[in-house]
Amino acid sequence: MKKALPFLIIAVVLVGAVTIAWSLKQSAVAPPVAPTTTNPSQPIAVAPKTGDPGAEPAHAVGDAKAPVTLEEFGDFQCPPCGLLHPVLKIMEQEFGPQLRVIFREHPLVPTHQHALAAARSAEAAGMQGKFWQMHDLIYENQKTWSNAFDVRPIFEGYATKIGLDLEKFKRDLSSETVSQRIFLDGKRARSLGVQGTPTVFMNGREVPFESLPADRLRVLITNELRSLGK
Amino acid sequence: MLYGVAAAVSIVGLLDSIYLTVEHLAGRSVRCTIVKGCSEVLSSPYSSFRGIPLALIGAGAYFVVFSLATLAASGYKSAGKLLPIVVGIMFLMTLWLFYLQAVVIKAFCQFCLLSALVTLMLTLLVFLARRLER
Repeated sequence: MKKALPFLIIAVVLVGAVTIAWSLKQSAVAPPVAPTTTNPSQPIAVAPKTGDPGAEPAHAVGDAKAPVTLEEFGDFQCPPCGLLHPVLKIMEQEFGPQLRVIFREHPLVPTHQHALAAARSAEAAGMQGKFWQMHDLIYENQKTWSNAFDVRPIFEGYATKIGLDLEKFKRDLSSETVSQRIFLDGKRARSLGVQGTPTVFMNGREVPFESLPADRLRVLITNELRSLGK
Repeated sequence: MLYGVAAAVSIVGLLDSIYLTVEHLAGRSVRCTIVKGCSEVLSSPYSSFRGIPLALIGAGAYFVVFSLATLAASGYKSAGKLLPIVVGIMFLMTLWLFYLQAVVIKAFCQFCLLSALVTLMLTLLVFLARRLER
């Protein structure tokens, strides 16, 4: 028996490791668990947060009267944020006037060396009324510029591509207005307890990171609409 | 006794590597935070070897260490002789991966750093155990 014990222990650990790996994998792909209350369409039972105001006007796409608002705190150089970008686009298409999406700057400095430059570029584009065009270009080309040495010519290229006044764009990049916008969004992030990116709030309540894939987010938005009687 | 501690420590490494493997395969990676950059590390080309996630290879290595340490703690001398070789290779890998994070990727993943810490501890424990045996 003594000779068999170590082998038994090793076998138990092997089985345990495989079981843990399997159950982790399952929870990584499982559909969202419906809230186990008597009312299945009950939204996430957490009080919505208001937080400090961010930059105004906020960058928002969708109807101002939309019943569901998703507020993303994003970093343009953060890979999961890059993955979230097409998901939000799909949600915007699917939910149309029922969904409003807000973007807040949350560049993680110094973890992402170009994040601040990207945020400034998007905000500078916003000063010429083309925030979302720049936002989309930056996210869609994330892999291209993330490892570049100098991103300035790349972002200036995007500015030209979307028809911005390049000289104004360059001036606005280092403007007080752009700095203030990023600062205020950061202040809002801290007041809401934002820990990292992407962090998304749905009608003021934080959406769990695991629920950000399209199939899960769709269910959450649908449930929220249902609970609001829409 | 030291082998028993090494076995226990290697479990931490094993669990950490399993978590990282699942995250890597799930493709979603972890959220970016202000200090750590797990997504950069896990999505870098250095995170796989011939298509196999490095974390999975790490999990395998920790399991081997756990097995050898358990056997060594039970008196199997040959297991005790193999341990320094396996842990030595893991130690060198750890140095290389730390260099990659610090200098090449320029981002640290906290779960990878935990694994590095576990490997360092295992290296010390096995080194001490071998010295005490002489």
